[in-house]
Amino acid sequence: MKNGKDIHEIMKACGAYACVECGRCVAVCPMAEMYPDFSIEMSPRGIIKKALMSVNILEDEYIWYCTECNAGTDVCPAGVSDRDLIKGLRRLAIENGVVKDIRTCRSCGEQYFPVHVMEYISDKLAGEPREFLEMCPACRRKVYLMRNA
Amino acid sequence: MQEGAKEYYSQLTLDDIRPLPEKQKLPRRPPVIVFNPSRCSGCGTCEMVCSNRNVNMVAPASSSVKVLRAEDRGRNFAILCLHCREPLCMEACPVRAIDKEEDGIVRIRNIFCVECGICTLACPESAPLIEPVSGKVHKCDLCDGDPLCAKYCPEDALHFYHGKSLGWIKFLRWPVQAISFLLLVMILVGTFCYFTAGVVSLPCPTGTLQNIASTKTLVLTGVGAAMVLIVLTFLFGRIFCGWICPFGFFLDLVGTFTPKFGLPKFLKSRMIKYGILAGAVGGAAGLGFQPFCTVCPIGSICRSYGPGGVFKGAELAIVPAVATLELGQRRSWCRYLCPVGAVLALAAKIGLMKIVIGAQQCKKFSCMQCADICPMGIIDREALREGIAPAIPMDECIMCMRCVDKCPYSSAKIRFRWQKTIPGEVKAWTYS
Repeated sequence: MKNGKDIHEIMKACGAYACVECGRCVAVCPMAEMYPDFSIEMSPRGIIKKALMSVNILEDEYIWYCTECNAGTDVCPAGVSDRDLIKGLRRLAIENGVVKDIRTCRSCGEQYFPVHVMEYISDKLAGEPREFLEMCPACRRKVYLMRNA
Repeated sequence: MQEGAKEYYSQLTLDDIRPLPEKQKLPRRPPVIVFNPSRCSGCGTCEMVCSNRNVNMVAPASSSVKVLRAEDRGRNFAILCLHCREPLCMEACPVRAIDKEEDGIVRIRNIFCVECGICTLACPESAPLIEPVSGKVHKCDLCDGDPLCAKYCPEDALHFYHGKSLGWIKFLRWPVQAISFLLLVMILVGTFCYFTAGVVSLPCPTGTLQNIASTKTLVLTGVGAAMVLIVLTFLFGRIFCGWICPFGFFLDLVGTFTPKFGLPKFLKSRMIKYGILAGAVGGAAGLGFQPFCTVCPIGSICRSYGPGGVFKGAELAIVPAVATLELGQRRSWCRYLCPVGAVLALAAKIGLMKIVIGAQQCKKFSCMQCADICPMGIIDREALREGIAPAIPMDECIMCMRCVDKCPYSSAKIRFRWQKTIPGEVKAWTYS
């Protein structure tokens, strides 16, 4: 595999080889609340397992559901940093040109957050048109500045 | 699967662990920091003191208030949490770590927060902030009621105060409306159509127009007397509609009780009333009498209580017929159909007064109390949602001053037309 070494480095840096599969990160994961189809595929434990088994994790759409929160890292008894793992995998995926699951800012073109998370937010805030969701935080502020100052 | 087993296997959700709080009553005086862009010099003192409180060092990147500097336009702007009435971050937070407490301050509960940053993405101006180093999410909590940024701002551009709505205009308006209702309908023999009190006689402008058209004679004293109401409207806006009109008072009373179902689309055009006006005047020229005045609800309600003190059944029947329109929208007659209002609207369009919404940085996109309470529905929700101060069409405004009365941040104001108010109210430059 072409990126095997990079994935290995990321896993080493975030301590994923020490994972004991206890499932505490799954217990606290906010994704269980956000997505009704939360499963082992999507959970941090599943992601680590898939990365360890060296399946083609970068092409996997399930790495794009995470919100990059800190809950899993906080409770991990083995000191695995889930957030760093996901961030590294996403960075690597973008480097390899897997960008179909990431939302691009309408005004500046920055790739700012995964589509699935943004879908969750727009579902939660449904009822009124929320155009600002299509822009990255920096551009929202810029637009607010232009309109008011 | 059996019934019991189903219960056993059912998953606990967040609703079981941390149920949504019940809808709270708004605090009477919501705390808010009001930002005045015309005074901000972009020095960044607010960022410094805020980050000092957040992370105990001067690091502007981790402050909850952000100063944006637009050097090319000579304006600076501070992005800060406005402590919305219905916070979007609270709705979006997957672990329900964000609370709006009774004092009106929206806070992140640190013990529940998992630092996912979804609140940052749900906020229209991204006021909650992910700190770049540790990944923690910071959000303004108004320093628990004594914000440092407002305290240390050298130019007084950030100003902290407890919002307070005026609240007394409605106690003035309802009595004025009731008194003018009594005067025009019950006590005086002359009605609104031809208001007579001793030597003073003021005819209704729409009636006068029809009268001129039907008789084809121009009586200058009559026109001059009809101009009184027009001039009043030119000076103060359509205060006749909001404060004096007896039928408007009746509609206001009815409208407070009736539920609203919306109107069919063909009625929802504010040009209809001009059409009715033109039709009435044209009809008067053709027919030789005032066609609208026979069905005018304002005239009907005035004439119904006639000199003999007897309700005239046929004329009074028009009033409830028009009042059923109130089931559609508030004051739907005045919005779309009333030709008396149309004459006044023409005068108010070039009038001296204007209403300014959002003169200061108010919580436009979440508060919307002005848009909720406006009986004419002229406050643009779309603009408020985008954070822009909406322009008020003065020909549609009936000057009831409900928005001025209701706004808790005193950013709905009455100004002269030539006064410059948007975006910020510019005060005299004084060092305190």
